[in-house]
Amino acid sequence: MSIETSTPAASRARTGTGQASAGVIERVPGPAERDAKAYRRRGQLSDNLLRWGTPILVLVLWQLFAMAKILDPQFWPSPGAVAQSLVENVSSGYLIDQLQVSMLRFFAGWGAGALFGLVLGAVLGTFRPARMAIEPLVSAVFTVPKLALFPLMLLLFGLGEMPKIILIALTVFVVVTISTATAIVAIPEGMKEPLRSAHATRWQTFRHLTFPMVLPEIFVSLRITTGMGVLVLVAVEMVQGASGLGYVIWSSWQVYDVERMYVGIITMSLAGVALQYLVMWVGRLVMPWRTAGKRTA
Amino acid sequence: MNAKIDAKDVRRNFTTKSGEVEALGPFTMQIEEGEFVCIVGPSGCGKSTMLRVVGGLLNPSSGSVRIRHDGPESQAVSIVFQDYSIYAWKTVEANIRLGLDIAKVPREEANERVERWLRRMGLWDFRKAYPQTLSGGMRQRVSLARALVVEPDILLMDEPFAALDAQMRAVMQEELLAICQAEKRTVLFVTHSLDEAILLADRVFVMSARPGRLLAGYDVPFERPRTPDLRGTEQFAHLENEIWTLLRNEVNRDLTNVAADGRSKKLEAIS
Ligand SMILES: Nc1ncnc2c1ncn2[C@@H]1O[C@H](COP(=O)(O)OP(=O)(O)OP(=O)(O)O)[C@@H](O)[C@H]1O
Ligand SMILES: [Mg+2]
Repeated sequence: MSIETSTPAASRARTGTGQASAGVIERVPGPAERDAKAYRRRGQLSDNLLRWGTPILVLVLWQLFAMAKILDPQFWPSPGAVAQSLVENVSSGYLIDQLQVSMLRFFAGWGAGALFGLVLGAVLGTFRPARMAIEPLVSAVFTVPKLALFPLMLLLFGLGEMPKIILIALTVFVVVTISTATAIVAIPEGMKEPLRSAHATRWQTFRHLTFPMVLPEIFVSLRITTGMGVLVLVAVEMVQGASGLGYVIWSSWQVYDVERMYVGIITMSLAGVALQYLVMWVGRLVMPWRTAGKRTA
Repeated sequence: MNAKIDAKDVRRNFTTKSGEVEALGPFTMQIEEGEFVCIVGPSGCGKSTMLRVVGGLLNPSSGSVRIRHDGPESQAVSIVFQDYSIYAWKTVEANIRLGLDIAKVPREEANERVERWLRRMGLWDFRKAYPQTLSGGMRQRVSLARALVVEPDILLMDEPFAALDAQMRAVMQEELLAICQAEKRTVLFVTHSLDEAILLADRVFVMSARPGRLLAGYDVPFERPRTPDLRGTEQFAHLENEIWTLLRNEVNRDLTNVAADGRSKKLEAIS
C-alpha cells in the first residue's frame, strides 16, 4: 500500500489514526491538527453550505419543474410567483401585521404555558404526595386533543384573544410539566449526596443541582412545544376570527389566491424555524457547560 | 462519651427484589479527635455503607453512631465521594464554593477561602474551566478542595484516589498528609490500598467480608511528619504483610461463599 492511500484514512479518522502498512498502526496528526484554523473554516463552510444549500436546492428544483410545466401552476405556483405575492403582501403591510398578531398570540400562550409548566413540573418532581395526587390529572389532560377543547374555550372566554392564547398555553403547559417532573425524578441519588451532606435546604438543592441538571430536558421540551404551539395557533386561527397567519392561509384558499396561501405557509414555517433556533440559542447561552470541551460549539 | 466518633453495633440492611441483603454490621468502632483512620476490607463488605451512615446520608437499620461536635451541623462532616462528585454545570471555582454558598459564608471570606484552596490544589489557572475539560486527577482535586474548603471537623473519604494513576496518587497522598499534619482533622478514609492506608493513617481498621464487622485495628507506629520514603522501611513492609495476611483470609472466605452461590466473580475481590 502506498502512502497516498494511508492519508485519506488518516483524515477520515479525526484522531489521525491510520493503517500505514500491514502490522503497523500509525498515529499521526490528522487534518484537524495539521492546520486547526483551516480545518475549522472548512467545517464551518460545509455546515453553512448544507444549512442553506438544501432549502435553496429545493427552491431551484421547484422553479425548474414549474417552468418546465411539470407542476400544475393552479396548485403549485412557481417560487417566482410566490415571491412576487410575498413582496406585494409585505409592502402593503398586510403580512407583517398578521405575522405580528400571530406571534403575539404565540408568545403569550407559549410563555405562560412554559412558565406554569416549569413551576408545576418542579413541584411534582420534588414533592411525592403532589406527584401522586396531580400526575393522573396531568396525564388525562395530556391525552385530550387540545383542539377538541376549542369550542369549550370559546364558550368560556368569548371570541377574543383569550381562548386562543389559553389553548396554546394548555398544550405547552402539559408537555413542559411532564418533562420537567420526569427529569427531576430521574436525578440519581448519588448526585444529591454532596448537597445532603452539606445540609442544603430544598431551595438550595433546587438551585445548585435540580434546576441546572434538568435544564437540558427542559430545553428539549421547550423546542418541541414551539412546534406544537404553532400547530394549535394556525388551526385555531383558521377556525375562528379574521386575523393571523392561519387566517391568511385559510382565507387565501377560500378566494383561490394560491400564491398568497403559499406565502402564508412559508412565513409560518420560517417563523417556526426562527422560534426553534431562538430556543436553542438561549439554551446554549444558559448552559455554557454543555458546549465546554466540545470540538465545535 | 469522649470519642469523636463512636459507632455501636451499627447494622444496615437493604431490601432488594431478590430479598434482604445484610450490608453492614454489627459494626463497632471508636475514633478519637484528630485521628486519621483508614478502613480496608473486601469489596462489597459495606465500607461505603458505613461511611454513608457516619456521614448522615443513610440511617442505620439498628445501632447508633455518635459524633462529638460543637457548632453548626453543616461544619461537622464533609465527604469526598467515590464517584458523582462534582457538578458539570459549575466551574471549578463554583464547585469548590458550593459548601460555602450553602452555609451562607460571607462573600469576602468565601472568596478568600476558595482562592486559598484553588492555589493549594494547583487549580488556580483552571478556576473558570468546566469539569468536562479537566483531567481525572484535576477533577479529584476539585472534589477534595470542595470538601476541605468548608473546614469540616470530620472528613470522610471514600476511595478518593482510586481512579488516579500512580504518580497523581502519590502527589495527592502527599498533599493530604501535608494538609492533615497542618490542621489536625479527624479523618475516616476508605481505601483498598494497604500501602496507602499505612502511609496515611494513625490506625488501620480491617473489616470482615459482608456484612462488614470490625476485625482488627492496627496502630501505625510511624512518627509524623511522614514522607513517602517510609515505604522502603522494614517496619512498613512488616505491618503491611501482617494486615495483608488477615485480609487475604477474609477475601478467600468471601470468595468461597460466592463460589457456593454458584457465581464466580473472583477478580476485583479486594477493593
Ligand atoms: N442501595 C442499595 N441497595 C441494595 N443493596 C445495596 C445498596 N447499597 C449497597 N448495597 C449492598 O451492600 C453491600 C455493601 O456495599 P458497599 O457499597 O458498602 O460496599 P463497599 O465495601 O463500599 O464495596 P467497594 O469496596 O466495592 O466500594 C453490597 O453487597 C451492596 O450490593
Ligand atoms: Mg465502596
